[in-house]
Amino acid sequence: MPSANDTPPLLVGEGLHKRYGGVHALRGAGIAVHAGEVHALVGENGSGKSTMLKILSGQIQADAGSVSIDGRPAGFRTPLDALRSGIATVTQETTLAPDLSIAENVFLGHRMVRRGPVIDWRATRRRAFDALRRLGLEVDPALPVRRLRPDQQQMVEIARALSIDARVLILDEPTSSLTDDEVESLFLLVRSLRSEGVATIFVSHRLQEVFDLVDRVTVLRDGHTVGAAPVAELDRAKLIHLMVGRTLEELEPPPVQEREGHAALRVRGLTLQQGLHDVDLDVAPGEIVGLAGLVGAGRSELLETIFGLHRRLSGTVEVDGELTSFRSPRQAIRGGIAFVPADRKIQGLVLEMSVRENLVMASTSRLSRLRRPAARRELAVVRESFEGMRIRAHSSRVPVATLSGGNQQKVVLGKWLATAPRVLMLDEPTRGVDVGAKSEIYRLLFEAAERGVGILVSSSENPELLTLCDRILVMFRGRVAVQLVRGEATEARIAHFAGGHR
Amino acid sequence: MSSRSPARDHAAGLWSATSRYAVVLLLLVGILVFFSITQRDFLSQANIENLLTSSSILFVVSIGMTFVVLTGGIDLSVGSLLALSGIVLSELFNGVGLPSGVAVLLTCLIAAAIGGAVNGVLIGRVGLSFFVVTLGTLSIYRGVVNIWSDTETTYIASSFVDSIAFGKLLGIAYPIWIMLVTYLVALAVLRWTYFGRDVYAVGGNITAARLSGINVAQTLIMVYAIAGLCAGIGGVIQAGRLGAASPLVGDTTPLAAAAAVLLGGTSFLGGVGGVTGTAVGVLFIGTLQNGLSIAAVSSFWQQVVTGVILIVAIAIDRIQQLPRGRFRRSRSGTPEAA
Repeated sequence: MPSANDTPPLLVGEGLHKRYGGVHALRGAGIAVHAGEVHALVGENGSGKSTMLKILSGQIQADAGSVSIDGRPAGFRTPLDALRSGIATVTQETTLAPDLSIAENVFLGHRMVRRGPVIDWRATRRRAFDALRRLGLEVDPALPVRRLRPDQQQMVEIARALSIDARVLILDEPTSSLTDDEVESLFLLVRSLRSEGVATIFVSHRLQEVFDLVDRVTVLRDGHTVGAAPVAELDRAKLIHLMVGRTLEELEPPPVQEREGHAALRVRGLTLQQGLHDVDLDVAPGEIVGLAGLVGAGRSELLETIFGLHRRLSGTVEVDGELTSFRSPRQAIRGGIAFVPADRKIQGLVLEMSVRENLVMASTSRLSRLRRPAARRELAVVRESFEGMRIRAHSSRVPVATLSGGNQQKVVLGKWLATAPRVLMLDEPTRGVDVGAKSEIYRLLFEAAERGVGILVSSSENPELLTLCDRILVMFRGRVAVQLVRGEATEARIAHFAGGHR
Repeated sequence: MSSRSPARDHAAGLWSATSRYAVVLLLLVGILVFFSITQRDFLSQANIENLLTSSSILFVVSIGMTFVVLTGGIDLSVGSLLALSGIVLSELFNGVGLPSGVAVLLTCLIAAAIGGAVNGVLIGRVGLSFFVVTLGTLSIYRGVVNIWSDTETTYIASSFVDSIAFGKLLGIAYPIWIMLVTYLVALAVLRWTYFGRDVYAVGGNITAARLSGINVAQTLIMVYAIAGLCAGIGGVIQAGRLGAASPLVGDTTPLAAAAAVLLGGTSFLGGVGGVTGTAVGVLFIGTLQNGLSIAAVSSFWQQVVTGVILIVAIAIDRIQQLPRGRFRRSRSGTPEAA
């Protein structure tokens, strides 16, 4: 391991406290990061990771405690202070200006090359090109960022972070929207930065990545630092135990049952103008079918088209043996379809509205709009969701924005289970969700399947599909490349077909 | 904010229902006290009644505007529609010769239909920008008003229409009753119907609302119809106050109504706020103008003061909502409990 524990740490946070209203997000947490190490910060949603990162990067200030860099106290008041000390952050959400050029985004914040008072565009573009090539991305820096794929956009963000000669690079869930190949190239990059002496703080919910990449781990739980150790001294079970504070029961999927009668969902020849070609698919009642494939392979388009969001060129969709032609989500919901979309903040929740209003939103959408909401029925839905899903919130009346990511995702799932669907479709059901919430979501899906709901789940995480699904359809360029049943599906096989090989 | 308990929200440290208009409420109390002390006639019954009745048109229009702002829009055409309603009323009464009650009712319904069918359909169904559409209809309706009226005022000799502005029930002037009823109906609709919830949902996150099966187009059409209806009611009160249909009325109404709504704590991004805040906002503007008039401050200075207070009140509100009262630029404006 390149990081030497006998050298003093580069960046230290000690005794950090932070309160948001009634929520005590940090209660004396600490972290010590050495130069030239990759340091994982792990913990469940709500454990205080984001708060700590925001304090370290100057976005917010701690109520108590100290941050020091090079052994000197660093009273960061703004993100700019942290940047000047060499701490750069790449967050989950993109902070790029999509219509500005790649070069402008890399040097955003008046750091373009100047000649006198004017910007020297040619030199700026050349420097941006060099910075990106160092990261393995060769693109024309004059192109608008909008034209890049999500992983390429992330490279632009990292290039921007590095363009200030960062000594500490904070990566907050950088892999959550990347495919395996893209993750691998990101890891290569992080390793080469490590050899240059840059310290990287890495946040991920995918524990395998922690073991693949990092040198040291700091574990947060309920705002406390409950562990800090070299990764070599930990294994998966120990790490989960530290994060969750208890041992998780391993989930065993129920055995595959014999199925007869109508398919819950039957799709034939579904084709879009762009992105979907002649897709056939069946989901039996009680069956969990997975959709694997790279980003852009057509998984989301398939789910959205079934849900009535795109006008299809040809093809049929049957629910419970009845031919349907949904032209809006309203009609699809009436037809017994539920859809948990990929992005809960943009597509799933109305963040300012209460947990309760979000929970009942879909199941009440077919009632007359002049009716008075039935408080008792709503409370029943709320109680069922809170108890059945172990949603953690002060009450059902707080805005859903105040919940942690895992609990928000449970609200989205609860909202759709409350519609009592025949078919439940999910797009990336556990993106950005911690291990505890993840296993609960899996349990809920198994329970729904046992009740006879047909489930169609799309995911970029192949282990997730292997855990959940009876069958997995691997998509490539808008077509179903192959169907793998439980037993014959492996990560390697999925990756093989997802890459377009035969 | 429908069906939320302020105490619990406060416990979460975020938007409590009343705190969104607490600043303007305090300011309102402040100027009430100030004018009561400095102006001898301010607290007289006649002046209070005058204050309320002269605020009534703005009040009703602002209530309608609140629905639009809650969906994340703004309706710039309400002033022109208000003037158009006056002309329509005069045409129905003087021209067609309908009984005054029927003419008044029909005027309000026509205004609602125009609001829903033009602004509502173009914004909700066709998907055009609310700003472009209502800026266009602002101009169109004003043009129609001027063409139709030949820029001349026509008198409406109806005792019923007069009484809408000057009549009394149980010792209280009709316009005050109209304000009260409009407010209570709007409050009930926003709080106690699924439609009201849809308004907040569409304003809060239109994508999530659509994916949850909410009929977004229909919600928007209804919202602009409500704004039109309120403009129509405002037009009728205006016609009653003047005893005539004037093509000149309502030109500053959209901006004043937007100011009242924003003062009242409704977010111009949509999804947060309500009509109680708007009511406080209108009363604040009305009281300020009334007090300054008594103090013989010119109406031009009143405009300046109103604008300054709009900005100051919203700045105070913004600072208040920041954690630890510190200035910070954040994308969402809300700390995440993570």
